[in-house]
Amino acid sequence: MSKLNATDIQGFVLRGYNLPLARYLFLHFEDACRARALIGRLLGEVTTGQRWDGGKPDSTVNIAFTHKGLVALELPLATLLTFPVEFQEGMKKRAGILGDTELNGPERWDELWREDRVHAWLGVNANCPEALESRCAQMLALMQETGGAVLVGSQDAAAVVIDGKPTTGEHFGYTDGFGNPEYLGVERKSQPGQGKLMPDGTWAPLATGELLLGYADEAGELPVAPVPHILASNGTFMVYRKLHQNVASFRAFLDTQGALYGGGREKLAAKFIGRWRDGTPLELSPDEPDFPLTQDPKRSTNFTYGKDPEGVKCPLGAHIRRVHPRDAFGFNGRLIDRRRITRRGLPYGRFVPEGEPVSDAEDRGVIFMALNASISRQFEFVQQQWIGYGNDARLGNDKDLLIGNHCGRGKFVVQGDTTKENPPFICSNMPNFVELRGGEYFFLPSITALGMIAMSLVDPR
Amino acid sequence: MPNKNGNVYGLTLLSPIIDDEKATPSHDLQIRKYLATLPTGEGSPFALAPGTHLARLVVMDDVIYVGMPACEEHLKSKYLVLESNFDGELDQYLNGLADHVPEHLDAIWGHCFGYPGVANRKAFVEYMRACQLETTFFFAAVNDQSVPQTLRALHTRRAVADFIACHQGMEPAQLQAEFMQFVKELGSEPIPRPGSIGVVRNTKTGGRDE
Amino acid sequence: MSNINGKVYAMNAITPMKPWKTWILRGFFFVLGHVKPLQKDLVNLSFIEFARWVVLPRKRFPFLGNGQVKEDLRYDYLLFFSNFNGTWNQYIDAFSAVLSRGLNLVWRWSEKFPGSVPVTPFKEYIARVQFDTDYYYTAYPHATANDLKSAHIVQASFDKLSQRAQEYSPAQFAEAYLHFVLQVQAHLGETGEAPVVF
Repeated sequence: MSKLNATDIQGFVLRGYNLPLARYLFLHFEDACRARALIGRLLGEVTTGQRWDGGKPDSTVNIAFTHKGLVALELPLATLLTFPVEFQEGMKKRAGILGDTELNGPERWDELWREDRVHAWLGVNANCPEALESRCAQMLALMQETGGAVLVGSQDAAAVVIDGKPTTGEHFGYTDGFGNPEYLGVERKSQPGQGKLMPDGTWAPLATGELLLGYADEAGELPVAPVPHILASNGTFMVYRKLHQNVASFRAFLDTQGALYGGGREKLAAKFIGRWRDGTPLELSPDEPDFPLTQDPKRSTNFTYGKDPEGVKCPLGAHIRRVHPRDAFGFNGRLIDRRRITRRGLPYGRFVPEGEPVSDAEDRGVIFMALNASISRQFEFVQQQWIGYGNDARLGNDKDLLIGNHCGRGKFVVQGDTTKENPPFICSNMPNFVELRGGEYFFLPSITALGMIAMSLVDPR
Repeated sequence: MPNKNGNVYGLTLLSPIIDDEKATPSHDLQIRKYLATLPTGEGSPFALAPGTHLARLVVMDDVIYVGMPACEEHLKSKYLVLESNFDGELDQYLNGLADHVPEHLDAIWGHCFGYPGVANRKAFVEYMRACQLETTFFFAAVNDQSVPQTLRALHTRRAVADFIACHQGMEPAQLQAEFMQFVKELGSEPIPRPGSIGVVRNTKTGGRDE
Repeated sequence: MSNINGKVYAMNAITPMKPWKTWILRGFFFVLGHVKPLQKDLVNLSFIEFARWVVLPRKRFPFLGNGQVKEDLRYDYLLFFSNFNGTWNQYIDAFSAVLSRGLNLVWRWSEKFPGSVPVTPFKEYIARVQFDTDYYYTAYPHATANDLKSAHIVQASFDKLSQRAQEYSPAQFAEAYLHFVLQVQAHLGETGEAPVVF
């Protein structure tokens, strides 16, 4: 395969920056000409995938567009029509497909997302509040100067800080950040369990085209992409979802169910996800957490489910088993290679440690961002078929416990064995621990494509 | 023999549809119209007659031209396709249909060449056999459970899941008593009807949450 | 008219074959039918409820007289009828990903078949040779093949326990009940509506 040109790909695609603070600015374009001028100015600011040999920058900037944004920028109609259907419709119209109904329905979203004004996402990440403020101020100044865009909303997010240090934890108390796939050519330390499973049991990186447009994908072809090639190549699609977390409900549920469960509260929490709260995978250590394991990249994601077909160690419906089934569906994992997504994103809202009072009404949750070459084949499929439904995992209509849209119904089965500490157990009639408050689909173009958009050089084929 | 897989029979019928320029609408369109309003749930003829797991009716207009260098050719008649997957043997199935839903059979196949009507049962069965195509390869995920057995099992599964969820941590004597009661009640509940979406269980499963 | 009823999709496809190739295909199906391990992959792709192939030679279209004109064709035809769970895209993606060799062995004898890998031209071919269902019935619209298999496992375990439940002491029953739960714990999914098709 061709070597990746990191200077042409936005850095946000190739790596999670591991910067603890972020502010996502949402822009609306009033005039195509001025908007293009703004993008031209932003070109110099957008962080690329180039390696940071001189040390991490204090802040980064990345940009993505909704279909409405591309329309507002006056790309040619013929080009606009080549974008995938789901991207053209936008996430709100796909609510039925995604199961975003009732408590997750668009009528209950934040005002910003109920309207259709978002044209662009400007993601600013930073390592300290001063850097964040000054970079954002710079962005706003550019917007003012060019008259290119109006700020219609912004969202702050930040890594959960415990004992003064940023962590990869999230509000329910789980340690996150383990599950990103590896792709061929995207420079990263290789980690067994992140790529695709090979017949001999080793792991290999996924085809680049599962993440980036313009490269061969796992189906042995170039993924369907917008036309012209040069607009799409080195770009990708981003799903943005604001997921509110009902921490009080979750803790109360865990309290009552944990008291009934033979393995105890912490083990039940682990059974929900498939990892203990410190990140130890249940499949590798079903009886207790093993912190050193989580710090060893050769082991922390290196497991399969083949030896646990009944879900006795890691339940069949556990979150990580649902979203990354590995070899659980047989065929050596080949059925799932094209259903992987890369996650970015950070928690938002004030973190409250276990034991302190907390309320569902407080504004906290996680900003979920997924990157993939095809929103419908990757994110939408996982959300619809593996989160909101369970047939592939042989779980009928049962939903994912953590983020499923339960609305007080449904069940979660913890498979067990004859030991007292690992009994079979069923949780029923769950509330929504997570509620969707809005989001959208974005296109994250390459640097070349940004330049073409800025100079109005996009030509339909 | 390839038409059967275990206890399931795979029937493929191709019945030529009458081509009459004077018919308005044409016979194939009349069949289509009839099928469009035929119920597909509990009221389906395939639900009223016994034994059908899955069945479809398709008006096949023509063969399909896949493009050069393949040759273009056309059928001289349109055909009504019946693909059915049912329990038991063919004659018994056909007779079951004729007994339970004769008016639907006549309304649909009445538009086909040589269809004698269900009134003459022997001719009807012979006609159907004359339209039968030999299935070359037939795959069935589950091939040894009848339709009533399947509906009952689905109903049982739902009831069992509810029972287990409501009886966690119960002490053995009470658990046993309630289980015996559950068996009795489940045994007396009617099985869901074919083509329906399942029975709403009013029977309480007892246990902690009641 | 719908190809979908509840959780099951009715796909119909017809492809032309040069008559001499039909014999090779029949040979392949004969082997597949008699060498059970070859069917393993089909079984493990557990979203097919029923599927069949019908080789229809050009001279064997049913002829009932009574005014019907006899067919005069150059090609034999391969008819394919599938009843599967999930969406059209999901179904073809899965087959292309794991059963491409088997698919090729069945359809390479059909005119202009592009191969089952890569998936996009394969999907285009299927879309061209697929024709739509006018009427579709299923006895269990809210269940999938997986649900059926699970239901039978649960029924069998439940019957065994019910038969003997009376005989046990409470302690014995508790143990038998635990074993019953362990047997069915991976098979308790709910039935219900299918997700929205896309």
